[in-house]
Parts: sequence; C-alpha cells; structure tokens
Amino acid sequence: MAVTRVFGARIKRREDPRLITGTATYTDDIVIPGMCYTVIVRSPYAHARIKRIDVERARKHPGVVAAFTGKDLEGKVNPIPCAWLIPGSDLKTPPHPALAVDRVRYVGEGVAVVVATSRHAAADAASLVEVEVEPLPAVVNQEKAMQPGAPQIHDGVPNNVAFHWKVSSGDVGRAFQEADVVIRQRMVNHRLIPNAMEPRSCVAAYNRGSGDLTIWMTSQNPHIHRVLLSGILGIPEHRLRIIAPEVGGGFGSKIPCYADEAVVAFCAMQTGHPVKWGEDRRENYLATAHGRDHIVDLEVAAKKDGTITAIRGTCYANLGAYLSTAAPGVPTILHGLMMCGPYTIPNIDYEVYGIFTNTTPVDAYRGAGRPEATYYVERLVDMVARKLNMDPVEVRRKNFIPKDKFPYTVATGITYDSGDYEASLETLLRIIDYPNFRKEQEKAWKEGRYLGIGFSTYVEICGLGPSQVAGAVGFQGALWESALVRVHPTGKVTVLTGASPHGQGEETTFAQIVSEELGIPIEDIEVLHGDTEMIPMGWGTYGSRTTAVGGAALFVACRRIVEKGKKLAAHLLEASEQDILFEGGRFFVKGAPDRAKTIQEVALQAYLAWNLPAGFEPALEATAFYDPPNFTYPFGAHACIVEVDPETGTVKIRRYVAVDDCGRVVNPLIVDGQVHGGLAQGIGQALYEYAYYDDFGQLLTGSMSDYAVPKASQLPPFETARTETPSPHHPLGLKGVGETGTIASTPAVANAVVDALQPLGIHHIDIPLTPPRVLAAIRQAQGR
Amino acid sequence: MRVPISVTVNGTVYHHEVEPRLLLVYYLREVLGLTGTHIGCDTSNCGACTVMMNGLAVKSCTVLAVQANGAEILTVEGLARDGQLHPIQEGFWEEHGLQCGYCTPGMMIAALQLLQRNPDPSEAEIRHALEGNLCRCTGYQHIVNAVRYAARKMKESGAMPVGGR
Amino acid sequence: MRLEGTYTLEAPRDRVWELLNDPHVLVRCTPGMKQLEPAEGDTFKATMEVGVGPVKGTFQGKVEVAERKAPEQITLRVQGGGSAGMVRAEGTITLREEDGRTVLSYVGEAQVSGLIASVGQRMIGSVAKMLADQFFSNLIKEASASR
Repeated sequence: MAVTRVFGARIKRREDPRLITGTATYTDDIVIPGMCYTVIVRSPYAHARIKRIDVERARKHPGVVAAFTGKDLEGKVNPIPCAWLIPGSDLKTPPHPALAVDRVRYVGEGVAVVVATSRHAAADAASLVEVEVEPLPAVVNQEKAMQPGAPQIHDGVPNNVAFHWKVSSGDVGRAFQEADVVIRQRMVNHRLIPNAMEPRSCVAAYNRGSGDLTIWMTSQNPHIHRVLLSGILGIPEHRLRIIAPEVGGGFGSKIPCYADEAVVAFCAMQTGHPVKWGEDRRENYLATAHGRDHIVDLEVAAKKDGTITAIRGTCYANLGAYLSTAAPGVPTILHGLMMCGPYTIPNIDYEVYGIFTNTTPVDAYRGAGRPEATYYVERLVDMVARKLNMDPVEVRRKNFIPKDKFPYTVATGITYDSGDYEASLETLLRIIDYPNFRKEQEKAWKEGRYLGIGFSTYVEICGLGPSQVAGAVGFQGALWESALVRVHPTGKVTVLTGASPHGQGEETTFAQIVSEELGIPIEDIEVLHGDTEMIPMGWGTYGSRTTAVGGAALFVACRRIVEKGKKLAAHLLEASEQDILFEGGRFFVKGAPDRAKTIQEVALQAYLAWNLPAGFEPALEATAFYDPPNFTYPFGAHACIVEVDPETGTVKIRRYVAVDDCGRVVNPLIVDGQVHGGLAQGIGQALYEYAYYDDFGQLLTGSMSDYAVPKASQLPPFETARTETPSPHHPLGLKGVGETGTIASTPAVANAVVDALQPLGIHHIDIPLTPPRVLAAIRQAQGR
Repeated sequence: MRVPISVTVNGTVYHHEVEPRLLLVYYLREVLGLTGTHIGCDTSNCGACTVMMNGLAVKSCTVLAVQANGAEILTVEGLARDGQLHPIQEGFWEEHGLQCGYCTPGMMIAALQLLQRNPDPSEAEIRHALEGNLCRCTGYQHIVNAVRYAARKMKESGAMPVGGR
Repeated sequence: MRLEGTYTLEAPRDRVWELLNDPHVLVRCTPGMKQLEPAEGDTFKATMEVGVGPVKGTFQGKVEVAERKAPEQITLRVQGGGSAGMVRAEGTITLREEDGRTVLSYVGEAQVSGLIASVGQRMIGSVAKMLADQFFSNLIKEASASR
C-alpha cells in the first residue's frame, strides 16, 4: 500500500481557502459587544520638552469614555523594556515610558490616548488634545549625534552612544601591512520601513471580575508579548492571554513589544470596556520600528591572487530614539558575526556603535543585520576583483570555504553547519550562461549600452537558535521551540506549534511533516498557532526559525507518537515491541506485514483504554520542546543582470536568478514564494525604498505616496533554482528560507549596476540606486 | 446628520442611514460586517480595499458610503458562487499567489477588472494592471502566475467573470 | 526649508513699508489668510487656511515682529499649527529703493512638522513658493493701486 509522499511535494496551501474568500479574521476584524475605539495622540516634534498636555476638552467630547496622558500611566504601566542586552558593550538602557511624560524624542511618540464609543468620536476627540511643548534641537544622523555638542537625547547616555561592541580575531594589522591591495570604502545601508500590508492593531478585553486580560494583536511572537506585557502591565502571566489571529505580514516589525499595545490594554483595564486600536499607514510609518540604517567605514586587505586576508570596519548603527525589543542584537550579533560571509577570511576587526537619534526606533527587519553584512562583504569582494582585474566569480571561488571543511568555524567565532558554495555558484553560472553574458556585455558596451551582472554569494545565520548561545549573547529569552501533536480517537490530528507563522505557510508545511512522519492523510491534520492559552510556551516566528526549529520540535513529537504507538501496537498484535515496524501509517510485525494495526486503530485503542499494556498511559499525544544544537546556515548564489540608461540613470533588471540552498525542502512552492518575497524586499532596498528624515526629525517619506514599496511592474520575473545540502544537525535536514532572498539580493543588484558602469570607471554608488543618484554618478564620471 | 443610502452588495440590497463622512470601506467592514475588504493605507496607494462598484474596480477607502448610494458593489465575499470558487480565487490558490493574504481580496478584484477588459493578458500587462495594488509578501511572481492561471481557466470554461455588468 | 525671492514693486519704499505694516493689507494679500488681529506687544494672532497636496487645514498661529528697521527691513517670526501640522518660520524682508521703485527681497527658514511634512513634503517647497508669489504679486497690486 503506497502512500503518496507529501514531504517535498508541491502542495497548495491549506491556509488559503479562508484567505481567498474573505473569511479570515485579522485583528481589526474583531468586534466585541461594548467595544470602544482608541486613538493615540502622537508627537509632531522630534525632540521637545513637554510643558502641558491637556485632555479636558477631549474628555468632554461626545462619545468619549476616557482620555489619559503619560502622567496617568505613571506607577501603573511600567516602562517598555529592551530584551536583548548584549554583554561587554557598556549598553545603556534609558527608560522608555509607554506615553511620554516630560520629553518627546521622536515624531510619532505617543503622548496621550483617547477612548471613545466610535472610531469617529475618538478621532475627533484626539484632535482636541492640547499639547504645549518647548521644541529642542533634534538630531537624526547617527554620526552627527555622536559629535560633541550634539543634542543629548537621554540622561546618562553621553554622546548618545547606547553601546560599543566589537568582534575581532586574528592579526588584522599585520594582514593589512602584508596586503598587496587595500581598499577603503564608506558605505551606507539606509533606513527602511518594513511595510507589512496589515498595519499593527490590537483589541484588549479585561474582565474585572476574574482579572483576566485578553489581547488580540498583530504579533509574530505572542508568548514573548505575554511575558513582556505581563511585566509592563503588572498582570500575572496566567491571567494574560495573547492571541495572534490572522496576521497580515510582519517582516520583523511585529516582533517588538511596543508601547501602544500596553497603552490600549491599560485603557481596557481602566474603563472596563473592550478597546480596539489600529494604526493607519502614516502612524505605522512613524510608530512601528524601522530597519537597517548603518553608516560603515570598511577596509579590505587582499593578496594579488585574490585571497582576501582581512576585513576591518567601524559601523555606526542608528537605533532611533529608544531601544526597541531586539535592537541591540541586530547590528551586533546578527550582523557583526556574519562579516566573514561564505569566505575563509582569517582576520576580522569590526566594531559597532549603537547610537540614539530623534527618529523612530530601529529593530529587526527581514534579514535583520545579515542583509547589511552581506551587502558590505559582497560589495568588498567585487571591489577586490575590480582592483585586481579579476573576474568576481574567480575571487569568490578563491575565498569560498571548501565543502569538505564543514562544520567550519569562521574568524568571528561561529560555526557554519554545512555548505557547498561552489555547487550553488556552478548551478547559477550554468543557468545564466555566464561566458555568453560577458560576450554580450562587451558588445553592448561597444554600442554605448550599459549592461552589467552582479553576483551575491551569501551565507546567513538562521534557525535561531541554541538557547545557551542566546543567553551568552544577552538575548533575554530562549530560542527553542515547542510542538504538540495530538492524535484524536478518530485518527485526526491537531498540531500546536509555539512558532507563530503569519503568511509563511507552516499550516501546510507542518502538516506535510506530520503526514510524512505519521502516515496520516494531510486532510486529517490541522496546525494551530498563535494563542498563548492553547499553545505550550513558544518563541515565535522570526529569524527563519519556524520550520528550522519548530519543524524539528514537530519531528521529535511525531517520533514520540510513533514510539508510544509501537508499544500499544505490540500489545494488540501480541508481538514484541522490538519486532514492530512503522511505515506509511501502519504498525506491523517484522516479517509478517499483514499482522498490522493502522495508526488510526492504535489511536482509538489508546483512547478507549480497554486493553492497554501495563503502565501504559491512555491517549495518543506528545509534546516536544526542541532546543537546536546549532544555528543553521543556508547559503546560495544569486545573479542580477541589469541595463542602466546613461541618459536617465534608470536601472532596468533584465534577469534575476536565485540559486538557494536551504537544506531539504518540505514544499517547493512555498520555498519559491519565500524566496520571491525576499527578493522583492532586497531589490526594493537596492533600487527604490528609502525612509528619509529631514534635519528636524520629520519623516519626509511619511506615506505610501512617498515611500516606494515596489510595485508589480517594477520587479522582474524571478528565476529560482536550488541545491540541497542538508543541515547535519537538524533531524530533517532543514535550514530555513524566510530571509535568503532579502539577504542576497541587495548586493547582487548593486554589484550589477556598478559592473554595468565599468567603462565609466565608476567604483561605487550608495544604495538606493535611484535614477538621480545613478545619473549623478554617471555625470560625475563623464566630467559633465 | 445621517443620510439614507441603499446599496447592493454581492447581490443583497441594504438600506442604512450613515454619516456623510463614512468611507465605503468602513461601511462594508463595520456596518455590513464584510471584513474581507482590508485597509492598508490612507493615500489610496495600496489597493487592499479594492472592490467593484458598478463594474469598476475602485478603492473603497477613497469612496464615501453616500457616493455608493444606488450602486452595485462586489467584494471578495461575493466572488465565489454556489460554493464554487471563482477562477481567480482558484488561480491564487493553485499558484500560491498569496502569503499573509492581506492584500489578496483587493488584488483579486483588480485582477478581475483586468480579465474583464483583457481576457488574455501578457505578463507585462498583468504587472501593469496590478500597479495600484501592493503586495509585500510574494514579490508578485506568483500573483502573475495566478492571474494567468485564471485567464486560462476562464477561457477554457467560457465562463463570464462575475460582476461584469 | 529655505525660502527666498526678489520682487520689484512700482512704488516708493516708504509706501511699501507702510503697506507691509498694515494688518488689513496683509490679510488681503496673504492667500488663505482669514484673520489677523493685533495681540500683545508686536505680535498678531493669525488664522490661515492652507492646502499642501492632499493635506488641507486651518492653521492658528502667532506672527511676531522680531525686528523692525523702518523703512528697510523687517524680521518676522511665525509659529502656528493645526490638525494638519505645525509650522515655525523666521524670515527677513528687505526693501531697497531703486529709481523710485522698490526692490523687495526676502529670505527665510521654515520648519514644518506633522501630517503636512510627512505627506505633503514633495509639494511643500513649491506650495511655499507659490504662496509667496501670490502674496507679493498681491502686494504689487496694492502698491500700484495706491499710487
């Protein structure tokens, strides 16, 4: 009896029917009888002393139930904590009040909240809140913020430096002395806005009788939100329930614990009404964490043959006005430790200053630190190739960690689990027909057309991660994951995962894993997530960890089901447990495959418990808490082919090819989707997106009319391919794929544009490569 | 002040008195409870709120409910008929044209408009037609595939797209 | 945001100075200006309606004469706000007599915050320029009418 293999199959998603029929429930779709609406009044000033906030007129407005200021919250709502306290960096953690009390530090910081019986009444009343301030000088640029005399944003944080972190290994000084070539380059990895299509929102309901508080919210990690909000609100964890209903994308922006949800919960507790809050897009741009924002001075040392011997750099990371939940870890642990890329670079010296500015806080955004590292390293590799007049492909090959050297510990101290970088690059070169492209390029150049190719051979740290390491690097939590597999009496299965997918498709891929492991039809399996009252502790979805860690937990739980099933099957079949085999959903006796019980029959007997072996507990379910022994390190090789219009500076992507290796693949359709989405965001950073502040701290790209989220017509068709190098430590060989596209694509595009402009002698252009920037570089090179 | 309106939504006639400033999207979501239509921005860039109004795809965040008085509206909830998914819904499902699903209802309505006007669009035409609808998850490749799937399917079955009056 | 410009008015400098210091003239000349009432000291309370791209709103504010050097130079400080955002600006208008005509030049620095900054910024520069042009061309009309 053959069971169709589901692991690795292109199965269409099981979450889709509700999403394509408009019957899914997102947070803002929730309505509770008696529900009120809130509007949070936000500072239009980047930096100001608060002289007076008056909510009296707002309170008197018809329909208004309550209005609060920061003073009303004092002693009742604790400051918003940072949860990644990187050690050895002299990290400063200035208080972050849920509503500003005496000072505002960025445009968008909450200063008051209004609760009313209707959306309109709340909005009207919010406009009646009077805020009188004394504006203070603001600083938005991290380098300027470090200068003597710059506005001081927090007490006790001299020069606005939140931390200074360093990773160093080998003898960098000597490597530079002995280098044949040294290249120095300043690069900017500009600020981005995550732009999940669903803005943040929440609904809070408090039961005064029981003391139970329920918050439905747009969360990537409801359990982390429960722990943190429990501390902020002073509600015991077992009285607090966080539910992440359907969540419309996150890309990191729904990881942090923001002030807003705490304020809304406070309103529910104070008024006794269920309370809803939702940001509009403009508010989202101001109040939801941004990503990236580095200025880096880099140096690379290399030998004549292309061997890269050292990288040295100083990174100035803009943290915004307050430390967001994971902010200190992003430009350090997730960034600095990846500065070797897939190469055997033996000497590294990299320091990072985390700096406060009067801007929206910066935190994880898809890739979180790794896109920045990959961008710098891949640009440097191209610069070395150019300087040595070598093919960028050759320089990469020269420096790749050889496939027989894994597990490989790079200079920054982390150990890559497995890799075959050469294989992914070879696959890529075959697909793009590289030698032919170079011929075409020569021809184009002769015709005055600027055709270029850019490579990006990347490795990323994924599957976050071993909890011991998390603790060692100051993450105030763990990174294992939970899975509960419950086989019901009728053989149907409910799976609970502590990860919290919000578009990544694990309701499907996890069902595939269970179906494969238990031989149960996929239609009989349901995957649930996102409710702290239903799910054992979990750590959520980010860092490409859901399948990599949650999937491993699920595998372990399934194996426990099989083990337990074997015991009962042996009893029912009157055989020894050692002689029971399990395959395709059947327990059978070795050598007598007809003496068998299906897993459904075994499940029923386990629940009926009429005839169990001695000491056998009824029911058939298993829980696993899986802590991975290492991170996973997906990798790949991407190539982008562009044509640059020398008259307008417009970059047209003619081809984009991504060869990724994320270990074994559960569902190729979903993996392709993850890669595509990542590419769009990485290309967006390379060509279009830029969160831009003026010198006074006003976000000038404050709406979707001004911030360029890529449109369908601005992106090319994507070509994807894969190599498969299983993770040796993951029970299913998986690695994770959620961020690869974003991490790899930005440098591929940037390298392609610079490659296209080779005849003009252009060496570097900072991203985003908008037409004015590219044109300015061309004009400068032409001496026009 | 409240203004009486009567609107046909997915074939059902509704009568309500609404505030003149009520946006059509809030009317659909909060008065009728049809929460399949989403709100993703406040500048009519994202298209998450796209619905059909008298056969034309409109952004319901930029239409007042009172302007929809007497109109026929089709929302995502009205795409499937008699439990049968519309070919566009089928295409999005088959081709993995959605991830978080938030932009999907508006995206499908925009696609419907395209296929009504051009039953056999090229890839470039699809990308152009969907410019008013932003998706942050898919990178659009699978959405393009989904629309092509729907186009093929509609051609094969000879089915008229719904809402095409 | 820096604003500057130069206009030539067909009127003697003293006359232009007079016009510039007459609140009624200012109300007439300033696009969208609804009200300008004298308040304490050398200040005025102003109510203005301005639209920048998609953002329209009523601004309430204070115009303060920071420095006055009759009849050649006046420095104004403007501070105002409304639901659409906040404006703080300082500008100096200089009058120079040239063959019986007056050459008026202005230079100012404006700081805009709130909705109008984040949504309307692409238009702000040109809207400010347009408003200034309208103001000064109205002033030119006033000046020539009163000749």
